[in-house]
Amino acid sequence: MNFTVENKNITIGNIRVIDVASSSVLLIGDTRSISCSAIFDTPPESLIIGPFVPLESGR
Amino acid sequence: MVRVSLVGGINVHEVTLSSTLLVGDIVHVTNRSRALAVQRQEAVFRGDEGSFEKFGVFSRPIPKPIVDEPETIVYRNEDPFIRVNLVNIISISSSSLTQVGSNRTIDLESRVKHIRQLLPRSAPS
Repeated sequence: MNFTVENKNITIGNIRVIDVASSSVLLIGDTRSISCSAIFDTPPESLIIGPFVPLESGR
Repeated sequence: MVRVSLVGGINVHEVTLSSTLLVGDIVHVTNRSRALAVQRQEAVFRGDEGSFEKFGVFSRPIPKPIVDEPETIVYRNEDPFIRVNLVNIISISSSSLTQVGSNRTIDLESRVKHIRQLLPRSAPS
């Protein structure tokens, strides 16, 4: 695969961001490769209703 | 050749949980974070609770795209600068990256397991 990138003039005023979160990127510059992964797990069984039981420490 | 980033000013309130605020160039960025996010109806927490090994989300492999053909990339930078006046960010969190400058590869990973514990409806609070 042949790929040509032409970078012309980039002039930005102000950038206002609330949150860069969960493996996200804000890049002012060049890169070759970006790989961002996020796993966010909230299954129904993670809602536990009952007397308070501490989580297993595994130790 | 990479371009030069010209930024007038940068204002960041917080950088948390394995995140990076980088001014300058770097080759690889590899951020990892994992979190057990436990919310309880009553704030009862022991310091030694929880184990990442008990939950599959922290060990499950994440598939990556397979590059199965050689690529030839040509960059033509007509303007050697990227100009930005002001950057204002409230928060950078959970394996995120904010960079003024260039890099070769970015590899970020964040894994979060949410658990909510509520008391039975009849129980006195």
